[in-house]
Amino acid sequence: MTTSAQAPKAMRLELLPPSTAHTFTTPSKRINDGNDLSFFLSSTAYRDLTVWILQLNRSMFPISKDGKDEICSLLSPPSSSSSITSVQSILKALTNLLEKAPPSTGPRRFGNVAFRDWFNLVEQDIESLVSTHLSSIFQIYVSDDHERSNELVNELRSYLIGSFGSPQRLDYGTGHELSFLAFLGCLWKLDFFQDGEERTIVSSLIQPYLILIRRLILTYTLEPAGSHGVWGLDDHSFAPYIFGSAQLGPAIDPEDWSKPVPTEGSHHSAPSPASVTKKDVVRDYEGSNMYFSAIQFIYDVKKGPFWEHSPVLYDISGLKDGWGKINKGMLKMYAAEVLGKFPVVQHFPFGSLFKWEADPDAVAQTGSVHAQQQPVSKDVPIPPPGGSGGVGVGVGTAAPWAKSSGGSTQAFATSLMPASTGIPSTRAPWAGSAGATTSMSPPGGVRRSAATTLGRNPEIPRPLERPR
Amino acid sequence: MSDLDKAIAQLRACRPIPENQVRELCYKARELLIEEGNVVSVDAPVTICGDIHGQFHDLMELFRVGGDVPDTNYLFMGDFVDRGFYSLESFLLLLCLKVRYPDRITLIRGNHESRQITTVYGFYDECLRKYGSANVWRYCCEVFDYLALGALVMGAATDLQPTDATFQDPNSQATALSEPDEIEIEILNSAGQIINRFPRNNYIGSQDLSQISNTPSSPSQSLEQTPSRNGAPGTGASSASRGSSNNTGSAVLCVHGGLSPLIDSIDKIRLLDRKQEVPHEGAMCDLLWSDPDEIDGWGLSPRGAGFLFGADIVKCFNHKNDLSLICRAHQLVMEGFKEMFDNSIVTVWSAPNYCYRCGNVAAILELGEDGSGAGYAPRTNGDVGRSQGGPLAERIEQRQGPGRRYRVFEAAPQDSRGMPAKKPVAEYFL
Repeated sequence: MTTSAQAPKAMRLELLPPSTAHTFTTPSKRINDGNDLSFFLSSTAYRDLTVWILQLNRSMFPISKDGKDEICSLLSPPSSSSSITSVQSILKALTNLLEKAPPSTGPRRFGNVAFRDWFNLVEQDIESLVSTHLSSIFQIYVSDDHERSNELVNELRSYLIGSFGSPQRLDYGTGHELSFLAFLGCLWKLDFFQDGEERTIVSSLIQPYLILIRRLILTYTLEPAGSHGVWGLDDHSFAPYIFGSAQLGPAIDPEDWSKPVPTEGSHHSAPSPASVTKKDVVRDYEGSNMYFSAIQFIYDVKKGPFWEHSPVLYDISGLKDGWGKINKGMLKMYAAEVLGKFPVVQHFPFGSLFKWEADPDAVAQTGSVHAQQQPVSKDVPIPPPGGSGGVGVGVGTAAPWAKSSGGSTQAFATSLMPASTGIPSTRAPWAGSAGATTSMSPPGGVRRSAATTLGRNPEIPRPLERPR
Repeated sequence: MSDLDKAIAQLRACRPIPENQVRELCYKARELLIEEGNVVSVDAPVTICGDIHGQFHDLMELFRVGGDVPDTNYLFMGDFVDRGFYSLESFLLLLCLKVRYPDRITLIRGNHESRQITTVYGFYDECLRKYGSANVWRYCCEVFDYLALGALVMGAATDLQPTDATFQDPNSQATALSEPDEIEIEILNSAGQIINRFPRNNYIGSQDLSQISNTPSSPSQSLEQTPSRNGAPGTGASSASRGSSNNTGSAVLCVHGGLSPLIDSIDKIRLLDRKQEVPHEGAMCDLLWSDPDEIDGWGLSPRGAGFLFGADIVKCFNHKNDLSLICRAHQLVMEGFKEMFDNSIVTVWSAPNYCYRCGNVAAILELGEDGSGAGYAPRTNGDVGRSQGGPLAERIEQRQGPGRRYRVFEAAPQDSRGMPAKKPVAEYFL
């Protein structure tokens, strides 16, 4: 639809044409080593994930309409369509299962093993939840073909089940959060949501999801998966900082998709970024804003001075350029620290919707330094694992080069050497060309040069009209 | 006051020392550490500590509870850095103490003492933030490469010397042990009061100690305080092996993570070339990364490095190497410590309220000195006369464990740590 005469459209996730010809596939793990990560960063799946996150992000900015600004507040969410309530029903059903899996009072090292009970219950129910509440998708895309219907269930199930932490390791992290974003992205692609419903998706689905996650974390003392301790943004989450900062940014024109979202300034009604250190202000905004809701959770679970246990958020609170700037930074940081990090995305599965295929429009890869660190097969004689076969009790740290659990013994040293991250880890469309200091990046500064390889213009033209 | 003592005083006040002093300190430390073997011999009495992870104020609390250096002989099992806000101050203080009192403090390497891990989990960022350059990080990493991989504690007494400590709960006094009983395990709180005490012939090995430790924040605490089941003959839980020829001063192996399928004797650890970055695989990697688990034999580790190993592996290793106990860290434990596999291995965790939120207590383990002076006798710690017929050919006789005094403590009070100026943000936000 896009012609050269038209202004480039802001990116939106493309819909799958409503036909029963599409072949759904059970998603599978593809990222096994550093090269795979490089491939991922120039894949259509990566493109779609970033487009989807940007699309949701844009929707959260205040919009000026008829001379008035419409702010997105969690306290007065937009009215929900039947699609929204269907997904809410799934989340509610999963939340209700908590009552059937009370925390174990028996001995434990740290994480509560009853999380595995909850997870088992989820596994039992998830297929019927998906096919019951998402039935409209099935009518459009698979009609009564039983086999294809199963594949579609598997494809959706895979992302949904991956959203709630690891029952083996009793932990939860941003990789699981990404899985939920992908699940919603699948639903969008399958035309499940209404046009323009992005804001409701964030405030009425993602926020309730985060609330369920916080409950899981507290109920089963889930360890932060691969937490960087005080040096990370947050022990578990990232999405609320993106969407929450967008909520507080300057107002945008909802009709003009050609304009990038503001990268500085705040809405006049927004609290100052500095107020995250003021507990009473955080209380005031936790109910309406996702950023403050996440900060409140930190205050709830952490003891000690905020500047000490959360120095990254503390420093960000000193920014003078407003929430727009924070939002832009969050997107860049997400690209580098979540989408660009092997330990995080290695478990992400690829199917027919988030596809493991090269994106023809992706900018050519820069040579990756870690290519030198290729996997070597592990020639350690491993006696056959015993009957109970290595279900680990929760493990706090994964090796950065860790293979997926239960994988083959080779691919052991997939070796994403952090010290030589040759991966263009800020290849997201929002990755600016900032050649700034490397103050928080690993030595080598490879990330910086990579950051310039893509996306000076975040609004790449693309035929993105919804086929209606 | 020497420069070193000044540096110690400054670091004790949680103030970093200047870069040139760090450089000099690291140089001296390397000269010292290069002389140490891969497995350092340490004589009891010694106080063994687990992960610190930059929790400086809690490290100070540890010294308050366990005694100061050099009054107390310490062994730290690695993971000094990453995740916490004060990795730099914590590690440099320990290093200063090592250089100042080399015979009173032993530092061995954890999986976080590595270039790769520290660039991911915080220490690198912290050094940049505090010095504006990566030089200090580089100096520290060079020291990491020289840290020993393990320690062998010799001459630990099998019984605990009685203390004049009182019971935390005065009512327990009434049910306290009759005097002649040999105390195998004693658990003290940070005020030095006895939380619990277990006589040797009454304590049952198959119990997880975490079930009976008595810490206030323990949600999993079992009320069973006096297990009365008798252990099988030949296990540490019975008195059947008492009086056998060789039961004093049994050795304790300390290592950060655990065992490796490539290592069946302590001598094999001694043969490793340790002066390098922690490899992604192999024996050195496993020693720093593995975890004990309720499995048979070896299993894949969900961490992606090291292995899981079961009770049979530990018992076999201990038997072959004449060990009474393996002491390791590496895993967060709600109760601060956890004994497993009939008391043949213990996890010690010394970072209370880990990451400001985990609600766990921390522990340190004191091993007393055996009066016989066995610690000074030459030992083989090898397989002399023990591997005939293979260790599994007959019942493995477990050596009597050392008397173990655990001191548990909570996070240091978060009093008045003033709010510092905000630093420039990460590049993403510029």
